[in-house]
Amino acid sequence: MLLLPALIPVLLLSVYPLVHGIVLGFTDAQAGYNRPVHFNGIENYARLMSNELFWSSFRVGVIWALSVTVLQFLAALGLALLLNQNLRFRGAARVLALIPWAIPPVIIAIIWRLMLNPTAGPVNSALAAVGLPHDINWLGDPTFALPAVIVVGVWAGMPQTTVVLLAGLQNVRSDLHEAAALDGAGALRRFWHVTLPSLRPVIFAITTLDFIWNFNQFALVYVLTAGGPGGQTMLPMLFAYNEAFKYGNFGYASAMGNVMVVLIALTLVFYLRHQAKERQS
Amino acid sequence: MKRRSTLAAVLVPALAVALGGCTSDASAGRVELTFLSVAFQDATVEATDDIIQSWNEAHPDIQVTVLQSNYDDVHDQLVTQFQSNTPADLIYNEASDLAGFAHQGYLADLSPLLSEELREDIPEKYWDIVTIDDRVIAAPTLVQSYVVFANTKLLSEAGVAMPSETSLSWSSLRELASSLTTESRYGVGWGLRQPASAMMNTALNYGGTFFDVDSDGSATIEVDDAELAVPDQVHGMLFEDGSMDPTSVTQSTAEVVPGFFAGDYAMFIGASYLAQQLTEGAPEGFSFSVLPPLAGDRGAAQAANPQTLSIAAQSPHQAEAAEFLEYFMAAEHISRLGQSDWLRPVPTSALEHLEQATAEIPVWRPLLETGADLVGAPFTRALDYPQWKLQYATPGLQKYFAGSLSREELAAFWSDGWASISDQ
Amino acid sequence: MTRSVPPSPLRHSIRLNLTRPMQYLALLAYVGFLAFPLVFLATAALKTPGELQSASGGILPATLYLGNLESALTKVNLLGALGNSLGVASASTVVVIAIALPAAYAISRARARLKGVAFAWILISQMFPFILIVIPLFLLLTSFGLVNSLAGLTLVYSVWCLPFALWMLQGHLAHVPLEVEEAGAIDGAGRLRVLSSIVLPLLVPGIVATSLFTFITAYSDFFFALVTIRDERLQTLPLALARFVGAEGVVQLGPLAAASLIATVPSLLFFALIQRRLSSGLLAGAIKG
Repeated sequence: MLLLPALIPVLLLSVYPLVHGIVLGFTDAQAGYNRPVHFNGIENYARLMSNELFWSSFRVGVIWALSVTVLQFLAALGLALLLNQNLRFRGAARVLALIPWAIPPVIIAIIWRLMLNPTAGPVNSALAAVGLPHDINWLGDPTFALPAVIVVGVWAGMPQTTVVLLAGLQNVRSDLHEAAALDGAGALRRFWHVTLPSLRPVIFAITTLDFIWNFNQFALVYVLTAGGPGGQTMLPMLFAYNEAFKYGNFGYASAMGNVMVVLIALTLVFYLRHQAKERQS
Repeated sequence: MKRRSTLAAVLVPALAVALGGCTSDASAGRVELTFLSVAFQDATVEATDDIIQSWNEAHPDIQVTVLQSNYDDVHDQLVTQFQSNTPADLIYNEASDLAGFAHQGYLADLSPLLSEELREDIPEKYWDIVTIDDRVIAAPTLVQSYVVFANTKLLSEAGVAMPSETSLSWSSLRELASSLTTESRYGVGWGLRQPASAMMNTALNYGGTFFDVDSDGSATIEVDDAELAVPDQVHGMLFEDGSMDPTSVTQSTAEVVPGFFAGDYAMFIGASYLAQQLTEGAPEGFSFSVLPPLAGDRGAAQAANPQTLSIAAQSPHQAEAAEFLEYFMAAEHISRLGQSDWLRPVPTSALEHLEQATAEIPVWRPLLETGADLVGAPFTRALDYPQWKLQYATPGLQKYFAGSLSREELAAFWSDGWASISDQ
Repeated sequence: MTRSVPPSPLRHSIRLNLTRPMQYLALLAYVGFLAFPLVFLATAALKTPGELQSASGGILPATLYLGNLESALTKVNLLGALGNSLGVASASTVVVIAIALPAAYAISRARARLKGVAFAWILISQMFPFILIVIPLFLLLTSFGLVNSLAGLTLVYSVWCLPFALWMLQGHLAHVPLEVEEAGAIDGAGRLRVLSSIVLPLLVPGIVATSLFTFITAYSDFFFALVTIRDERLQTLPLALARFVGAEGVVQLGPLAAASLIATVPSLLFFALIQRRLSSGLLAGAIKG
């Protein structure tokens, strides 16, 4: 019981603000000079139901988070498998592949803004060099903005995922591989029947975390496109930020946060359940 | 040893931060004012700094420091600053961004603070724009208008005479643009990544007023042929005439400047402040001119959305801030800011000052002429305009110009959007 | 590939010979994709404005042009911002460790039910979107007058990093068996002495990993700084850079590239120093940079 005082700062600094945040979602808190705050029950949520822009932003968020997580995972798995091979320059490649991790998201966004600049960027120069259309403004065209931003998201998050998967690969027991090889299993079959099953817990953990992180992404897209053009990259977090800090609707924005937590939590419960079942069978 | 030095490296800055949080104004009796600036072109930043520095030298007991912001961020920054009771004392912004803050009570009423000279120096139509709820919430300083810049060399090479009428109709512009379009270049470019201001301001060419605003700032919207006329002209140049560079439309205004220099388009449309970048960055042998003001069926009128200087209601030093405001509004200061940003001064004395100072520079004449036709527009007074602009006007136009929204869809998106915001 | 042909030794060796080059090629592609943007940034920072605007120019600058670096350093207060970033990140790390260490100990030695509650809390808080944290914190900082101060920002980062730090630390504590403490107690050492002389040394790797996590999170954050910091001289590095990107009406590709390059160098150096530890620390949890 002597240990309880150690938890008081945690209660003050972590539990209190988060609970306050949840509670705000049930109030009409708004910007204004000494404006009083009232509880308004589920009014915010009733309004949210019919807020088309919020749901379209939610849809963008899901597309973004899913695409980035899946692509990131596939690309990282490929890289991790390569780095797990006994290749020369493996160490150097490993360090180089970590570069995006070392760069804060704002700078990543700036770099890619320069890369994707329609008239002066190397991406369009490269396309021009091989004779492809080269006047697309990747971040400015409603059709291409989201795919372009997804590529940047994959780039930014690949190293972490790679490192985790690589660590997982190194823990796969080599005797299982040898046994399978003796049974005449080819590389692909060994990967499918030995490597992948032993990696499963790691894959779960990292895809789950990646999904949450990606869904909550802010800085990268804020600097890349600020949600434009045509609202095509308006991630939910940008949308809620605008609601709170552009339009001053703090209660309403908190309600959006609450809805996001609940929906994301439900998705994850579903995903983890499904995975747990699969493991049992 | 190594570990200890690491520890020191961690602790020292931490302590510095902790201590830094406790410093306060040590010198009593001296008033410190902050000035939120949105100046972004080098020359204007310098001019602003100079004005403030000269004030500081003359007034040791009222010191002003600049907080640098920009047009994209200033609105959010004001929301957080007002809410957290830390606003700058003096706020430089634009009129259309202020209505909401004014109704929330965050902007001081300047009427008791302003001198009679200043009141008379600014035309009444501009006072109307910044008077909300019978309170004068800002002093208007400069106005921008949208103009057509032309690459004189390309025009003469193509054998096109410089239009000499008093105004340039949109259909003449389209003809001109089509005749200047070749295999390797477009007739015209327009950086419309943030299209809302340009479209709202020029809508008055066709009498597009959009809103009907009540005295409490609430408003109703009407999106009709007049409101859609200018977007239609742009759409026509993009999709029917093929005379406007579609890439330019997805870029920011200034990103289009290099393409204009490189001859990718013979003309380009933009706010008058771009003249500064054209003058500053023009390559050897490049020359440009400004075409007569654009006009629709209602003449060459554009919306006046002036830059403004306000005082925060929360400021404990409103009287001192007002003193500085008077100083800032002096003819030579506003004229200097106008020259560095290529904008038209609102105060009459400053306008005269600028007209004299720029008499030798021909480009200024059409710029000032375009500015003379500015009139107040309802959108600057509508309470929820900033939100509608961000959530509906801008994305709708972006999609319309990308061809992914039809004219009818755009009109419906705008009207329904306004309804859903003002319902709240 | 036809299935009927039995694998012959010859075939096998041919395939091996092809696999290796393909693997190297793939690795090269990966490294190119991941490293090229940084190379591009470095060269763009050294190009003249004219070179930057001409799409036809090569990757390498024609001459070493230092004007961008110069204008980056004069236009943005990069060094000041770097100092702010380092200061806030260090202070947050100290605060987080000071709070999380005893708390993690309490949780790891607590009864099962409390433990369950604590874990549930930590997991839930990981899912919390920024917005639910930043609004109450912003209102809280307002009432303490800490908006627009580095102290306030430090507080925000501490709140943000605390749950994950708790998670990492208690994970490491779980590996310190109770018997070690009991053995120390039998030897007659007081509880505090046992903690400081026996448990703490065993925890050093965990503390280092947790500190790195907190430091990096605070150092690279943009969102909280955006909401909290107003004054230019209090800006952190990401905030200063994001504001330098600028609004409508300004294009300064070269200075922007130069400023980003300068800002990236400390991160890269720091990262090079810690990357080994970081990779191993990840096994205990995971880190988002």
